[in-house]
Amino acid sequence: MHSVTVNINGKEYDVKEGSTILTVCKELGFDIPTLCHHPDLSIAGNCRVCVVEVEGWRTLVPACVTPITPNMVVRTDSSKVRRTRKLLLELILANHHNNCPECERNGNCELQSLAERYNIRFNRFQTVEKPESFVEVSPAIMRDSSKCIMCTRCVRTCEELQSVAVIKSVGRSSEVHIGTFEDKGLGDVACTQCGQCINRCPTGALYEKDETAPVWAALEDPGKIVVVQTAPAVRVGLEEALGLPTDHHTGKMAAALRRLGFDRVLDTDFSADLTIIEEGHELLFRLKDALVEKKEVALPMITSCSPGWIKFIEHKHNDYLPNLSTCKSPQQMFGAIAKTYLCDKEGFDPAKIVSVSVMPCTAKKFEKDRPEMNDSGFKDVDYVITTRELARMIREAGIDFDNLPIEKFDRFMGDSTGAAAIFGATGGVMEAALRTAYEVATGKEIPFKGLNVMPVRGFEGIKEASIPMPDEMAEGWEFLAGATLKIAVAHGLANADKLLKAVKAGEAEYHFIEIMACPGGCLGGGGQPIPTDMEKRMERMRAIYAEDESLPLRKSHENPEIQLLYAEYLNEPLGPKSHHLLHTKYTKRDRF
Amino acid sequence: MARNPQEIVADSISEFGNGRERIMQILTRVNNELSYVPSEAIEAIADATGVSAAEVYSVVTFYSFFSTEPRGRNIVRLCSTISCAMAGQGEVLDALIEEFGIEPFETTEDYRLTIETTPCIGLCDQAPAMLVNGEPHVKLTPEKACEIVRGLE
Amino acid sequence: MEKKVLLAENQPEFGAGLEKALEMTPADVVYEIRDSGMKGRGGAGFPTGVKWNLAGASSSDVKYVICNADEGEPGTFKDRLLLEKYSERLIEGMAIGGYAIGGSHGIIYLRAEYPYLIPAIEKARKNLMNKGLLGENIKGSGFSFDVEIRPGAGAYVCGEETSLIESLEGKRGEPRNKPPYPVNSGYLAKPTIVNNVETFCAVPHIILNGSGWYSDLGAGDCTGTKLFSISGDVEKPGVYEIPMGAPLKDLLELAGAKDVQAVQVGGASGSTIPASEIHRALSFKDLPPGGSVIVFNNSVDMIEVLANFMEFFVHESCGQCTPCREGNLRLMDAIHLIINGDICCVESLTPFFELAETMKLSSKCGLGQTSANCFIDIINNFVELSGECECGECNCEGGDE
Repeated sequence: MHSVTVNINGKEYDVKEGSTILTVCKELGFDIPTLCHHPDLSIAGNCRVCVVEVEGWRTLVPACVTPITPNMVVRTDSSKVRRTRKLLLELILANHHNNCPECERNGNCELQSLAERYNIRFNRFQTVEKPESFVEVSPAIMRDSSKCIMCTRCVRTCEELQSVAVIKSVGRSSEVHIGTFEDKGLGDVACTQCGQCINRCPTGALYEKDETAPVWAALEDPGKIVVVQTAPAVRVGLEEALGLPTDHHTGKMAAALRRLGFDRVLDTDFSADLTIIEEGHELLFRLKDALVEKKEVALPMITSCSPGWIKFIEHKHNDYLPNLSTCKSPQQMFGAIAKTYLCDKEGFDPAKIVSVSVMPCTAKKFEKDRPEMNDSGFKDVDYVITTRELARMIREAGIDFDNLPIEKFDRFMGDSTGAAAIFGATGGVMEAALRTAYEVATGKEIPFKGLNVMPVRGFEGIKEASIPMPDEMAEGWEFLAGATLKIAVAHGLANADKLLKAVKAGEAEYHFIEIMACPGGCLGGGGQPIPTDMEKRMERMRAIYAEDESLPLRKSHENPEIQLLYAEYLNEPLGPKSHHLLHTKYTKRDRF
Repeated sequence: MARNPQEIVADSISEFGNGRERIMQILTRVNNELSYVPSEAIEAIADATGVSAAEVYSVVTFYSFFSTEPRGRNIVRLCSTISCAMAGQGEVLDALIEEFGIEPFETTEDYRLTIETTPCIGLCDQAPAMLVNGEPHVKLTPEKACEIVRGLE
Repeated sequence: MEKKVLLAENQPEFGAGLEKALEMTPADVVYEIRDSGMKGRGGAGFPTGVKWNLAGASSSDVKYVICNADEGEPGTFKDRLLLEKYSERLIEGMAIGGYAIGGSHGIIYLRAEYPYLIPAIEKARKNLMNKGLLGENIKGSGFSFDVEIRPGAGAYVCGEETSLIESLEGKRGEPRNKPPYPVNSGYLAKPTIVNNVETFCAVPHIILNGSGWYSDLGAGDCTGTKLFSISGDVEKPGVYEIPMGAPLKDLLELAGAKDVQAVQVGGASGSTIPASEIHRALSFKDLPPGGSVIVFNNSVDMIEVLANFMEFFVHESCGQCTPCREGNLRLMDAIHLIINGDICCVESLTPFFELAETMKLSSKCGLGQTSANCFIDIINNFVELSGECECGECNCEGGDE
């Protein structure tokens, strides 16, 4: 790209032609405020707070939209610019239900911080009453339209990143609002509850349904045994949510949970390993059924860990439900085992167990309430809180997280391997499954250096790989000798949609597909700290693979507690007990 | 007998095509024929053009002439912009309200009539003016307007 | 005074301009239009030839010629007359535009308020078709062109060209960010020219009579004639055609305006001037000549006029960008304060004038950039503030002394 000379705030710079004024100024250290702009999304240019002065232009221009051109003279800080921004903020605030102290986003709100930065002390345009708070509830996501500033980040998220497109601008002019088809609640349309909109909302107009209150109540109830599980991606987001330097100390998280009063501090990573055993075998048996038994088997098999993805396929591609792995997600497997096996081992009464799950995800709140998720006779999981909610509990309890000791998870469901750790990143489930399934079928370690299946790592939207099988296979899997296992990985539902359409159209053929609803996988989940953007996702991904490398065991089937679980309770993968407790079925839902 | 929404959508698509860029034509056809755009039509258009129902709904609610609520078989749109206002539009509107017992944007119980006010309809040289089912009526007096509306089916 | 070209009684035969254009090179057609100095007749006044030149230079197999027949500016009805009587001229102009830029697809975006004009437009298309001036390989030139009519559905903002294109694509009529400009990426991301009905109607006359003839019709660089729709307090409301640059006074005389208090030129988003200024010229340099002229006599309460216009903008803002969505509402609030007698002095309106300025400076499209014009003009020139307030800056009874 050409370099051009521009003058910004009185000084000349050589910058890239074609970049926007916003990008160039950011690189040069001029902080231009934005509200509708988000690096993950297309450019809307509708909030106008990024306007700057450009010599020769009649009006101010939006920095997010306007490309740099040679010899452009830009002012980002003139009094005209500042006055305009301040007035625009006043306009937004006049129509904003700003009850900051009572707001979910108090202290982490882009509008609040701009109001502070531009010294809004009195609003000259408060000519009418502020809008009344109007909260709409859905299983995981709450919307308060009185705090909405019509930046449309949520609309663009839903459409561009997720291809769900259930929220849109509805109405016109002063009537305009973010709505759905016929303005139904998010729970009554094809919303996947993925919560990506929450992560991008600049204000408190979108937030998760808070479940900390019942969790506190359970913790305070002496008659309850409260067991907690933490998903792989939570440990790489928690410190961010607490505003602490990110050392990613899983042990500190365990210590914090113990200090909050959880009776058993256990790990979703354990059940992630369990999922791999079940799902890896399911794949191998599907292949066997197809290739040896010549049965009608749905292939490619598609992962089922991500509840946002499950709800998406149930709404939009429900002709492909048979292709979904019947495995429950690690969260639900954990709950089912906690209320059976763990109770056997610990001598707990399952009726007294309160199963709490800490997730990077909002859709998990929906998943736990699916009516079929109670195979033990009890609800697998009682409450789901997000990474953000856990951070709030830790702060409220006054726990000095930074100075906590490093502690371990409790026994029976606390051990995990590197294979489980990488569930938190896109491609992680695939890599973990390959590490196990390859070894089961061939008796040999998967032939990637350091067990790192690099082709499925990283943030490319759709990743593909072909894994050749050796000529010599383990007993029972000889039919796979010399075959090539074709796999694909997609993250973000827009990529998932694209991939599935290609499969449907016969343009691509795979045996196994991993899909995660959220960009980057669970590390970028809708329950993760705000902001979440590429920079944050990269940082969390590095932490996840570092965790994998640091663990002594890196293959799910080597997890000693998993081995014990099969030896003492489940007997074998895909056995009757597994089928009863760990596998599930799916529901067709309306397309809109 | 009114055709069902899906039928109108199917017909419009066979005439105009199912590209997303045909949505305004399809919606106009449905809206003209049924006086509004029912949800069945929105779903059918979404299916045919490959966009979400929320998207089609969003489009419908943007335009003043479209309605997502049932309206009367006859729609009167009385211009409320300045030249008409100065020429006595207010008296015409009052007379219509008085005689037909509905306020602007309301529909009579028998769905015979909906009265709306609308920004400039480009008949300022013959103010006050109104559109009745798309046909212009100009130089209105309260009596003349009521007589026209009375004569509708 | 009147100088009729578009509305002349003796008109050149429909299609004659196109036939002549087809004997020229497309580039020469563009130059002829450029040299005529014609500026777009929709109101914004962008030079038509420049627009065509840019679209012509854009490389693409498919290009679109779009006629903006969505005149919605309050008080504007000139295009209604052209569509009713001169649709053949319009389509001929569009075809010339298509030939000039290398596009074969014409679309007339017709406002929902004009459905009764569809038969006239369709008849015009058929007539041209029958004469072999529309369709495949026109007059053996190798150039093909056809037009279709596409409906609007009641949204003033769709008169803005990128909103219009969005609407044609089946979307909400929300203005796009620029760049890209339609001449490079317009309808369906193809190079597109969007011109007003009157602009296209003038094109065949320019081709037939030459750019020099056309520019001589006007004054200076405001060339040609212009159609005005006059309404309000005049004896003979209607459409008049006069040379560009003529004084407003001429037009008012033609229409029989008496006892004038104020004249609004260019619609609600244009300028509202007092009777003392009617000598001013209708030109892009002085009173930007949108197409609408509304006359208010001395009996009119101008604050009511302002309220009517501001209601219009509040209703018609697309609601996409902050200054326009929120700003018009707050200006409406200020008008209500004035009407209710809560404002006594212009000082207490200072924040609202600042708001008006902010809307001009920061709105995304012409709607928000101009909707405050009527507020500024009418408050400054025609409204006597007689209320009581608590601004503390004046001596009204409500003030702090």
